[in-house]
Formats: sequence, structure tokens, C-alpha cells
Amino acid sequence: MTRTIRIIIALVVILVIAGLVLGVDWMQRRQAAQVVGTSTPLPPGSVPIVFNGQIVAGFLPADLEKLKLVSFVDAEEGKTQDGWLLRDILLLYLKPEQLEDETQITVSSSSRDKSATLNWAEVKEASNMVMFDLSNRGTLKLVSLLPQLGTRNYWIQDADRIEVNNP
Amino acid sequence: MKQHYFSTFQLILLGLFAALIVIAKIALKLPLQLPGHSGIFWMAILIVAARVVPLKGAASLVGLSSGLLAAFLGLGDFGPLDTMLSYTMAGVGVDLALLLLGNPENLLTASIAGMIGHLAKFLVKWGIGIISGAPIGFVALGLARTLVSYIIFGALGGLLGGLTLIALRKAGFFAYLAEKR
Repeated sequence: MTRTIRIIIALVVILVIAGLVLGVDWMQRRQAAQVVGTSTPLPPGSVPIVFNGQIVAGFLPADLEKLKLVSFVDAEEGKTQDGWLLRDILLLYLKPEQLEDETQITVSSSSRDKSATLNWAEVKEASNMVMFDLSNRGTLKLVSLLPQLGTRNYWIQDADRIEVNNP
Repeated sequence: MKQHYFSTFQLILLGLFAALIVIAKIALKLPLQLPGHSGIFWMAILIVAARVVPLKGAASLVGLSSGLLAAFLGLGDFGPLDTMLSYTMAGVGVDLALLLLGNPENLLTASIAGMIGHLAKFLVKWGIGIISGAPIGFVALGLARTLVSYIIFGALGGLLGGLTLIALRKAGFFAYLAEKR
């Protein structure tokens, strides 16, 4: 077998794998759309925002484009975390008067069985950098400069629900 | 006679390459906020390792060793299993590609091997995401972009590895290694 044929085979393998990944992803999104269509009014793939027990919105990837990008360097690894402030995301769907300093905001990940609860006073303070960083595989990861979210063990990877509860 | 097993010297070299991958992952921070950008140095090291120790499985061994080391050091956002498997599969991908393509001193060969190695790493991360039930919508956010980014950075890493090998040959490193054996 000549080198050219080998290279062509390798390139075909790459294309087939890429096609399979995108195909499976497309099927998953279609299935999710069907399930969502019959159970809740949320668009597929959205992260539900629950306010006092009621789903008020579904946070979509496209919503991120409306928000300002922020970043900080985490103390543990010196890695730049960049993303979007949780405060800005919540204010896309909730009015400021609906949120009090003591309002509890819980971000959770069902696949990782992890959650973090903060109050609005902590979340609204921009210097705390309570934000979602986009992980390499495209999921949201809650990180912050606050000690309770300051290291990898405390981050909420694959976040898929935001709950807001007033006292 | 053709050598089939790794010599102690070769194992030490591969161990050093594995350590180099982990050190590079920790110390080299590129200001590129693009998924998979670490593939530039990662694939370069794997390609160089696979040529410096020209035995089947050399890159896989480097991948496995670096994966174990990285898992113990707590690297990676998605836990030790994801870290170990993704590091290992990057090496396995490079080995399989070189098995088909041959000598990575050819820059095109090195680039394609880098692409395949990095794609293997992406597949592990994507697969674990599916198995663990990571939220589909956000996984889908730029999945095609992430995939292309992994392939491009893998190719760049492979190219860098190929150029390094050419430079090593010019510097007489392979002649030196032959004497050592």
C-alpha cells in the first residue's frame, strides 16, 4: 500500500469519526426535543431556572452571547477561568426587585450529584466572580473566587439546574 | 535482530516523556480560550516519543503513564477516570495512526497522527459526557467547533512533533541513541 493510500485511509477515518460524533449528537438532540416537547415547555438543552418552585425560564446557549465575558485566574492552578457571571444570567430572566440579599441560589448538576448554594448578596457582587466557565466539552462549570467554590473539588461541573428561592 | 521489548533505557525515556506531558499541561498556559489547545504540545511530545522509541505501543505507554500521573495529581475537570482514559487514548490513537502511516518524520504523517491522537482524546471526553448524562444542550454548544478545534490543534501538535524530530535528526540525536542501544 502506498503512502498516499494510507494517508487517504487515515483522513477518511477522521471524517467518519467526526461524522459519527455529529450524527449521534444530532440524534440525541432530536430525542431530547421530543421528550421536552411532551413534558415541559422548555426548549431542548436549556438549563431550567426555577424561581420559588416554578420554572420561569430555560437558559439557552444562545443567551450567553448577550452577556459580557469575564475572567479570573484561579488560585489553585493559576488557570484562567472565563465565562459569564451567574448574576447576569439570572437578571436576564428575573427582575432585580425579585431578588433580596438573602435569596438562596442553588446551582446543581444531576449527572455529578453536586450542588452549591449561595445567597444573592454573594452572587451579585461582581468581585466574587460567581460565574459559569465553559468546559472543554461544552458544559457549564460554576466557579468563583469565593472560598466555597474556590477549588476544583467544589466547582459544579456539568451544571444543569438553577434554583432561586426567596426566604 | 529486531527488538520486540522495551529496554530499560527506552522505558526511562518514555517515563520522562510522560512526565514532560504532565509538566507541560501544568506549566505551559497558552492564552488561547479554545478547546483542545493543549494538543499543540501534547501531540508534539507523543509524536517525538513514538519516534525516539520506535517500538509498537511506545506512545500508548507514554499516554498511560502520563494519565496515571495526571490522575494522581488531580488534573482534569472531570475526575481521574476521564483524565486517565483521555491521556491513554491519545497515546493509543497516535500509535494506531503511526502503525498505518509509518515514520512520523514526514510532516504530513506527523500531522495526521497528531489529529488522530487528539481526536481519540476528544472521543473519550465526549463518550464519558454521554455516559454520565451531561446536559445535552450545552454539550451541543459548539460541538462541531470543539471537534474542529481538537483536530486542528492535534494537527499543529503533530506538525511541531515532526519538526522537532527533523531537528533532532539534524543534531545527531538518533545517531547518539543508536550508540546507546
